Amino acid sequence: MDLSLNVNGRPEQFSAQPNELLVERLRDGLGLTGTKVGCDTGQCGTCVVRLDGRSVKSCLILTAAAAGSAVTTIEGVTTPGGELTGLQEALREEHGTQCGFCTPGMVMALGELVENTEHREPPTEPEIREWLTGNLCRCTGYHSVVRGVQRACSAARAQVPVEQGTAQPATAAASGQEG
Amino acid sequence: MTAVTGETPLQAPIQGNGLLGQPLDSREDPQLLRGEATYVGDIDLPGTAHMAILGSPVAHAKVLSIDTKAAEQLPGVLKVATAADFTDVMPLPCIWIPGGVESHFPPHPYGLPGSRPVLSGDTVRHVGDPVAVVVAETPRQAAAALAAISVEYEPLPVVTRADEALAEGAPQLHEAVPGNLNAYWTCGDKDRTDAAIAAAEVTVELDLVNQRTINSPIEPRGAVGDYNTATGEYTLYASTQGPHNHRFLLSALVLGIPFNKLRVVAPTVGGSFGTKGYLYPDMPLVLLLSKALGRPVKWVDTRTGLMNSTVQGRDHRQHVTLAGTRDGRITAVRCTSYANLGAYPSTIGPGVATALMGRSISGMYDIDAAFCEVYAAFTNTVSLGAQRGSGRAEAAFLMERLVDRYASEIGMDPAAVRRRNLVPKEKFPYDNGLGWTYDSGDYQLNFDRAIELSGYADMPARKTEARTRGKRLGVGIASYVAICGVGPSTRMSKEGMLGGTWESANIRVHPTGEVTVTVGSASTGQSHGTVFAQVAADELGIDPATVNVYEGDTLKAPYGQGTYGSRSYSMAAPAIALTARKIKSKLVKAGAVFLGVPEDKVVYADGKVFEEGHEDDPEKSKTFAELAMAMWYGWGLPPEIEPALDETTHFDPPDFNYPFGTHVAVVEIDELTGETEVVAYTAVDDAGNIGNPKIVLGQIEGSILHGLGQALMEHAEYDPDGRLVSRDLNHYALPRAIDAPFFTLDKTTTPSPHNPLGAKGAGEIATVPPAAAVVNAVVDALSDLGVQHIDMPVTPEKVWRRLRGESQ
Repeated sequence: MDLSLNVNGRPEQFSAQPNELLVERLRDGLGLTGTKVGCDTGQCGTCVVRLDGRSVKSCLILTAAAAGSAVTTIEGVTTPGGELTGLQEALREEHGTQCGFCTPGMVMALGELVENTEHREPPTEPEIREWLTGNLCRCTGYHSVVRGVQRACSAARAQVPVEQGTAQPATAAASGQEG
Repeated sequence: MTAVTGETPLQAPIQGNGLLGQPLDSREDPQLLRGEATYVGDIDLPGTAHMAILGSPVAHAKVLSIDTKAAEQLPGVLKVATAADFTDVMPLPCIWIPGGVESHFPPHPYGLPGSRPVLSGDTVRHVGDPVAVVVAETPRQAAAALAAISVEYEPLPVVTRADEALAEGAPQLHEAVPGNLNAYWTCGDKDRTDAAIAAAEVTVELDLVNQRTINSPIEPRGAVGDYNTATGEYTLYASTQGPHNHRFLLSALVLGIPFNKLRVVAPTVGGSFGTKGYLYPDMPLVLLLSKALGRPVKWVDTRTGLMNSTVQGRDHRQHVTLAGTRDGRITAVRCTSYANLGAYPSTIGPGVATALMGRSISGMYDIDAAFCEVYAAFTNTVSLGAQRGSGRAEAAFLMERLVDRYASEIGMDPAAVRRRNLVPKEKFPYDNGLGWTYDSGDYQLNFDRAIELSGYADMPARKTEARTRGKRLGVGIASYVAICGVGPSTRMSKEGMLGGTWESANIRVHPTGEVTVTVGSASTGQSHGTVFAQVAADELGIDPATVNVYEGDTLKAPYGQGTYGSRSYSMAAPAIALTARKIKSKLVKAGAVFLGVPEDKVVYADGKVFEEGHEDDPEKSKTFAELAMAMWYGWGLPPEIEPALDETTHFDPPDFNYPFGTHVAVVEIDELTGETEVVAYTAVDDAGNIGNPKIVLGQIEGSILHGLGQALMEHAEYDPDGRLVSRDLNHYALPRAIDAPFFTLDKTTTPSPHNPLGAKGAGEIATVPPAAAVVNAVVDALSDLGVQHIDMPVTPEKVWRRLRGESQ
């Protein structure tokens, strides 16, 4: 069947089998290999992408079911060799990665959490851990990832424009003045 | 400022510029965070065909016939092959055969112990045992063709437990191995130990099951074979932690091709924890099929495939005994263990199940008599191999459970019993009577730090408080010594290792002053590129940003065994440091020429050479970059000094190194549900001098959670027919982010005398004690119910039953 997707801001048109998984289209069809496959059952989270803004496991969605949607993969988050996002920078500073195989999926899943920080209280440690339950990591024990998210959320709050709330210190922002 | 001296390398102090010990950011991270790293599954060579492997659905059977005709007709199918297509291929070898005993293995043409054929022909011995292979244009076509292959099996009886495999009348796996006994292996002094136990005031015994677990790197294994018809050379891209070792084994011992016709490349590898250092059938298969088809052949495993084919870990059933005095002095320890090797001896599995475990059982304690015997048996399960902390974790578990049992028996505090029996500082080097000689340590300092940091003294009050919330609080201690730094090649040969276990490094200084370091080791996520650059830059006194590190490609890097057993920083890094010292020595000689002063007046320090006392005089000093260019030109050098700077070191240490530590787990058990929650965890580890604490911190944290996984949830469970029940991640539990709080971590530092960096292994050592610490804590929480032991994994159901008075 003929389908179309918007992937990382680019329209893509192609023919796909009805049983093709979105992750297959991304990796094999479009060559976007940043999205990984780690299990057969939707458990590991290495294939997480953003579908119309929401983080989803691309191994659990048929390409046909995603047709017409906007997909963002890890390749759409930064340019090759370019500047890291706040979340990526925070994960780098906390060394929230080791072998890196789970990392793209985590960045995609956690991006949604960090973005929302601008509009609400920063997530607590248990909330961050809860958010991470869909992503398996065998190297880090998750602690450095959790620290990275805490750091990223603090930094994101500190950058909220003055008119929306308080520009600085992160602790003041954490009081939730701008709701 | 420090100068090159005439001391022998191992005695020389660290001469660096203070870079070592600094938490430099990992230079690998940005690429990983952008998803730009290339793993095997991401390699896409032009013309690639895709391979799929048909594994047996039954655990033990005669293969009566295989019909591949239907599969061959399917769209896109290029080749279907069975064992009959590979009769000239040698079986995969086993290279770690426990020493001192007569071992029985299926034969290998080179006179070596053989492990398994690339495809099984007559008999299958575990679910997943490969019987046929398909190559097709796409992965989906290859997978579809597997379903069209018809195999007729005649089932044979199945055995999945080591002790049962050794019983009279048990199903027999290998003709060459009567009674399924691969090895009976012992260490220590049996008579002395038996006598001490017979004469003891107190003895305690436990029957332990160290359950089989699956390492579960998040990246499944994969391999790409690429045969060059013009040159006759093979290239293997594989998720391997030992590319050089795989090159040696595959070329000489499996394919029967010249060593220099095979190149092995490890791209970015998505975790290993021991499993990716083994030879698997897929590796020779992609190479042979690439040659047969004239195209690159790629295979990437599925998770279910990994669970049914990649080596699994632990799996001992043990009867253990400890003897001591009424006042807390341990006098003897004895272990009889039944180790489950699985269906075939994996590349080094027999050594893991015997020496690595058995020689470690006495842990941190000064014990007069110790003995361990292991019966290593074949069963209809996936082959046994290493797993993060392998051998040492099994040993720590039995010893630390015994110490708690003993403390309970004599009514002493478990911390006090441990404290009383620690090897005293003045006894190092310490011969543990089981085959290891501990290099260095201050166990008292380490132990006291962990006890203090954990708030151990406050536990009674915390237990009382927890009861008000419907929780039972328990505290468990586990101490350990972990052999690392494999290692001394001659010593390993006495353990039965067929191969040198040294490590090498090359440093090439370019005319522009930049440096390339190549090492035989290969990272599976340990930021080698960062840490090894740090080591070279520290020793040479230069900016680490100017140092580049290459590894993982046998064409580009010197030979080395690879990454396993937490050996890279105490094996490859010393090789780098010693090579840098060769560079410095040469620069001192050359500097004497360039500066026109006697060699004994020339000093190398902080990245330059200068005439003694004239460090800041530009006329009497030369920077590293100036020297690099001058050496590249080679003008004016006397005949005894070769131009250029390019040095190599092969580092074979005098002995292993022995990191150690003490962990304290605090758990809360819910009275209603039986659920165990780790509410606090304190770890104080000693890995000698640490190169990059940020990198090591991550490894310690990950290792602890891995150990908690074994304690609480992980179990490779086989049904009576030999089918792996926990065959995917829906059925095999791995720890998730919610499964532990932040840990409280600290370190002590006792340098090893066996390498110039004073380093000890670090990467996996913190996996060794957590299972024991958690089970000790759970038993502590349930002790008033008369519970003396509980088997892992400590599931809510098991605890719930014990809370209601049911026995194990």
